[in-house]
Amino acid sequence: MQLLWQILINGVLLGGLYALMALGLVLVWGVLNIVNLAHGALIMLGAYACYYLFTGFGLDPFGALPLAMALLFCLGYLIQRCVLNLVIRAPMFNTLLITFGLEVVITFLAQMIFSADFRTVNPSYAGANFLWLGATVPLVRLLAFGVALGLTFALWLFLDHTALGRAIRATAQNLTAARLYGVNPRQLYALTFGIGAALAGAAGTLYGVVSQINPYIGSGLTGKSFAIAIIGGLDKSIYVLVGGLFLGIVEALTALYIGPTYTDVISFGILVVVLIVRPTGLLGRTA
Amino acid sequence: MKQLFSLLLATTTLLFGKPLLGAPIELGASVQLTGQFANTGRYYGDAYQFAIDKINAAGGVKIGSTREKLVLKMLDNQSDVNLSVRQYVQLVSQDKVNFLLGPFASDFVLADSAIAEKYSIPMIQGGGASDQVFSRGYKYIFGTLPPASDYFQSTLDLMGQLKPAPKTIALLYADDAFDVSVADGTRKAIGKTSMKIAVDQRYSSKASDFNSMLSLIKSQDVDAILVAGHETEILNFIRQSKTLNVNPKLYAFTVGVPSADFRAALGQDANYAFGMTSWVPSPALKDDYFGNAEQFAAEYQKRFGYEPDYHAASAVADVEAFVKAIEAANSVDPAKVRDAIARVDFDSLYGRIRFNAVGQISLPQTVVQVQKGKLVPVYGPKGAMEKALYPMPAWGKR
Repeated sequence: MQLLWQILINGVLLGGLYALMALGLVLVWGVLNIVNLAHGALIMLGAYACYYLFTGFGLDPFGALPLAMALLFCLGYLIQRCVLNLVIRAPMFNTLLITFGLEVVITFLAQMIFSADFRTVNPSYAGANFLWLGATVPLVRLLAFGVALGLTFALWLFLDHTALGRAIRATAQNLTAARLYGVNPRQLYALTFGIGAALAGAAGTLYGVVSQINPYIGSGLTGKSFAIAIIGGLDKSIYVLVGGLFLGIVEALTALYIGPTYTDVISFGILVVVLIVRPTGLLGRTA
Repeated sequence: MKQLFSLLLATTTLLFGKPLLGAPIELGASVQLTGQFANTGRYYGDAYQFAIDKINAAGGVKIGSTREKLVLKMLDNQSDVNLSVRQYVQLVSQDKVNFLLGPFASDFVLADSAIAEKYSIPMIQGGGASDQVFSRGYKYIFGTLPPASDYFQSTLDLMGQLKPAPKTIALLYADDAFDVSVADGTRKAIGKTSMKIAVDQRYSSKASDFNSMLSLIKSQDVDAILVAGHETEILNFIRQSKTLNVNPKLYAFTVGVPSADFRAALGQDANYAFGMTSWVPSPALKDDYFGNAEQFAAEYQKRFGYEPDYHAASAVADVEAFVKAIEAANSVDPAKVRDAIARVDFDSLYGRIRFNAVGQISLPQTVVQVQKGKLVPVYGPKGAMEKALYPMPAWGKR
């Protein structure tokens, strides 16, 4: 019983990080209809940004987080403005291929610049933990969970309650109507992609604190984010949180009761089942 | 002049196939220079080139009365097994290299050695230790890593001598060819001791989250954890055992611990981790080309800017084994050289190179431990060396 409780806590905390990883992907997918296969590579860049801010400037990882987000926002903005906007009306398959290409290029450049050495962001409190109702709660995971919740909430506020957020959603729903109301889609797309990249940067920062970093972590993270996006659905940013938590808990339980070698099989198996049974996600409106 | 030479070479090649004499001896290899295994793959790429440069500087390979230079034809397989198989096919069928050096990792060697066997071109590899590589009756594959099933033997010998003796063990391993072989061998070896396996878990090779496994281990209160996996997983494992406050008396890992990269990434948290290496850069290991292992390590560090570990030493031994075998066969005929490789017996900076009936060498693993940020050998073939720090203090008391 004690063990089950601990596993559930592990799963929830892991799920929070998962949700943040998927958040940017879901935003870009939902608004721009681009499945950004380079999303994981952007997370990886966020992790390196945090690593260099931490080791080079002694910045605390949580202090480095807004900076890493700002850097990634600029990069995302440029990628959309200079590359993706040129093909935004192309069939989805083309944008898939382009983002796939971007992933390969970013990963390769990262290896050239950062080397293939394994890195960790290791502040003094990285290993700190406390007991809560008999379960060990790792401090950084809890903080990461809090940041994930906060950013999800902030994104929801932004999209639902600001003029810019409403413009972004309007563009996704009806481009012509949005244009008639004076929205500049190019600018808006770039902003959206920038925000998506900034969220990837935040996820990367936290990922570096709990895990190890190397240039190749990207593709695996894209896969995981993709599964969460499908499971949660693309309708609302809050749903991503549900998808992330669901996957985190299922993986933690799978590792314990079925075997750790089956976690990927189960999580992608769920993805397949969700696509068949509820293609709009667990919480999405069924068509 | 250069054009004339290549024209000449092309003509001889056309007339006689691969020129048997009068051309440099080409060694082909497909190595993980980029991709997820690049971190370890670089040892092979750098060490092959280093050994070949050194051998050429010493005059090359003696065949009859002439001396031939070695040439390395190296391709980057981008850490993709399927690509590496295609590259080895290209190396033997298009580039027509004389002999093959191996890639890193058992999964790759398992696939690539089939090409060597099919084309009857000898491959000496220092990257694949899985027993599976050598259990298929292949004649053209030789390996300079000790058998995977023996990896934890010396660690278990050490554990038998520790006080208070560890009683229960958690065995975790990744689901690739090498680590499954390690686990099979370790399970048998533990069976011969008085220790018991309390947790026996196989995990997915790309796993980054070990929280469930660590929670299980913690709830069972095991004395020792043995992990057979990859360096990325082991880094995550150690970090997460700290955050979950998992405190066994010892933990030991197949890979990672001997590399400088591992200690740099973990800092103080690397302390107390046990690992193993089939190679310690000691001046006692004499070598025809590098003097001894210590000199090799220093030169390697100077040239490439990072410390070599046993992967690099093993790769050098592969090249040297070819030189010895070609000189003994006095020919570059693949079949003759293959038979000569089976008979080589020489001392190298890596250790004594002599292949058994299935083509693998046997080298005892030296148990190492990170103590105050330094790598210290604690148990070797002749028994205890420096004192092992045991039991390791709880995370909160360091």
